[in-house]
Amino acid sequence: MKLYDYELSGNCYKIRLFLSILGVEHALVPVDFYPGNEHKTESFLAVNPLGQLPVLEDDAFKIRDAQAILTYLAAKYDRSGQWYPTGRPERLGKVNEWLAFADLITGTASAARLHDGLCYTEIDVEKARHGAHRLFRIMDEHLWFSEREGRNWLVQGAVPTIAEIACFPYTMLSAEGGIPLQDYPAIRRWTDRVKRIPGFIVMPGIFPAGPSYSPVS
Amino acid sequence: MSDPHLQWHPIASSSDLIPRHVFHAQLLGQEMAVWRADDEYVNVWENRCLHRGVRLSIGINDGVELKCQYHGWRYSNRSANCTYIPAHPADAPARTVCNRRFPVKEQFGLIWTALEDGGPFDWSERVLQGFETLRPLPINAPADMIISALGVADIPDSAEISWSQLQAEVKTGAVVLKGSGQFGLIFFVQPVDTARSVIRGLAKGIGENTTRHLRHLNTVLTNLRSQIETDAASKPAEAPIEPTYTRVDAELATMPDRGKAAADGTRVRVLSKTPTATDIMRFELAALEGDLPTGQAGAHIDVHLPNGLTRQYSLTNGPGETSNYVIGVKRELESKGGSECLHDVVREGDVLSVSVPRNNYPLRRDAIRSVFVAGGIGITPLIAMAKTLDAQRLDYELHYFVRADDHIAFRDQIDMLTGRVVIHTGLSPDDTSAAFEKIYAGFEAANHTYICGPGPMLDAARSAASRAGWPDDAVHFEYFKNTTDIDDSSSFEIALARSGQTLTVNAGETILQVLQSNKIAIASSCCQGACGTCKVAVIEGEVDHQDVHLTEAEKQSNAYVMTCVSRAKSGRLVLDI
Repeated sequence: MKLYDYELSGNCYKIRLFLSILGVEHALVPVDFYPGNEHKTESFLAVNPLGQLPVLEDDAFKIRDAQAILTYLAAKYDRSGQWYPTGRPERLGKVNEWLAFADLITGTASAARLHDGLCYTEIDVEKARHGAHRLFRIMDEHLWFSEREGRNWLVQGAVPTIAEIACFPYTMLSAEGGIPLQDYPAIRRWTDRVKRIPGFIVMPGIFPAGPSYSPVS
Repeated sequence: MSDPHLQWHPIASSSDLIPRHVFHAQLLGQEMAVWRADDEYVNVWENRCLHRGVRLSIGINDGVELKCQYHGWRYSNRSANCTYIPAHPADAPARTVCNRRFPVKEQFGLIWTALEDGGPFDWSERVLQGFETLRPLPINAPADMIISALGVADIPDSAEISWSQLQAEVKTGAVVLKGSGQFGLIFFVQPVDTARSVIRGLAKGIGENTTRHLRHLNTVLTNLRSQIETDAASKPAEAPIEPTYTRVDAELATMPDRGKAAADGTRVRVLSKTPTATDIMRFELAALEGDLPTGQAGAHIDVHLPNGLTRQYSLTNGPGETSNYVIGVKRELESKGGSECLHDVVREGDVLSVSVPRNNYPLRRDAIRSVFVAGGIGITPLIAMAKTLDAQRLDYELHYFVRADDHIAFRDQIDMLTGRVVIHTGLSPDDTSAAFEKIYAGFEAANHTYICGPGPMLDAARSAASRAGWPDDAVHFEYFKNTTDIDDSSSFEIALARSGQTLTVNAGETILQVLQSNKIAIASSCCQGACGTCKVAVIEGEVDHQDVHLTEAEKQSNAYVMTCVSRAKSGRLVLDI
């Protein structure tokens, strides 16, 4: 299995993170997104005509788009069936709802980060930040009431799903785009929980969590 | 209106502070890292590591300490004292490296603080009983604008509750809504910055269908927020408040606490006095008020006794055990009155004076293998060290040599340790040496051993380690006392490089006495060349070492002198003070 990858991309990190959680062996093909702009070269456009990362090649099968790749990996390699519950319509629908939400986070929080960090000066950064705050207000409210009802994850249930993997990276990296998470305490607690999922790995700008609390009995 | 800096403000909900989390708060421009330790204590600190200024709110709460993500500086629960600096693994951080703390109260499901002394707390318990905490709502608008809006807000009724009949009363920093029924509301408005605030609400009488009422009130406030933010956006914004940051002396931040005079001690009450083994008494000493300075692993305190004597005892406290000092005191057969006084005279409830903890026996946390070797009462500093490594889930082995089972002190604490503990009981000196041979077989890089016990045992352990190839800087030891006969017949000059003075030390005097009688501040503790507190750097001259603190290599390097017992072989010593 081969992942076309850029280390600083939150969307590529999503895939690396999920592969690590699933324990799936893979090779990375580094693409010089910045400053090389390699994703717009002819040779990469042959891999993905959209000129976007990440792209996954699994033997002869090729798939692009971070959220789509997560669904493929979960359906194929997650024997527990927890990450993408294809057999449970309500849960599945809700997971997809959050995958779409993750795309909105990418369109706002990630855009602001590209503007601030990787010289994408044509992006309207104020609009991107405003849009991200709107999303985070919705997400924080959802998580606050979930916590009150004893739920830890975006989708109701005892275990995390790929909704977590899809929404986590650009939420966690949002401060790099001038969007602090200070006003979203429930989101901040949720990011701690994501960091404690077995198999969790970091990327530049994302730090590990400490050991979780296990009261002495 | 009174100065908001002098008032208590809510800055978080109690439910925000889940275990092992660091909450990011802000009050009047000042950012704060707020975290609950495993003992439930709530810390409200300036959100800034003293080292490089990185936000502590992204740090790691390990339940007893907060660790900065950048260079791993660790700060203790309660005292905010820095306990470890990974870049200086062999040194104890200066006691004065201490984060700025803000006062804290946890009341009515809210965490309260004040930028300066908050004074009396205005909200009496009676008024606020039986309230449920609402979801806090951040708003991009000034606090006074929000208070005005809340004062005239219409709160739509929900199925069972007629919120709209409540009468609003505007108070300082809050709006209270009361009615004739069992229910009511209070909205506190936390001024985050000039143009940012958080509404922290409490609702009374929503015990039934709580979540439904919380959702209703959350929707009400969210709609109100839209209006307020629209209004606020049309008005000119005030500049954000410039927070004041506590600066730390650059020298203090990087230098260990050597040679500086320690501040005055603390008064403590003997909370408990209990036998923990034959001839060994365990004392628990609690502060009369406030928090005790945090002792790092390996630290000792001076205990000033009612009979005028001063004795040093190692702390057994591990990370997070900050509410009292726990020491073990062995009754010495040849007691000159120190241990006898603690055993026979001092009682529970007595008040003693103790020094701040000093650490001349620091623990490295970057070792691949840590070997603790204790003899008798020498177990005390090693318990603190073992607990410290446990807290960080680092591996170690502890060998505890005792005469018989009834000599095992602090058994309860030793049973709690997760490292490998071996208790060697009743070994002859030869068998003890043989045990050392086994323990020290095979030295590798980044192995460290810590030895504490009676002199002859310590000598045997050191020589076994040395024979097995352990270098001096991997062997850390602490003697109880210096049994060498001190020769103080020489007389010589000391030149003080920093202050430019030259003083004479006559036969019968010590360097320390001469320094202190010339009003040169220098910390000292045991005054017999064992503890290491009075160590001073030597720039020039040959030292006549008579202490048991320095290693042979350190003695040969002539880099330091223990001023309480050591002297000069040359006619003159130039000291770095």
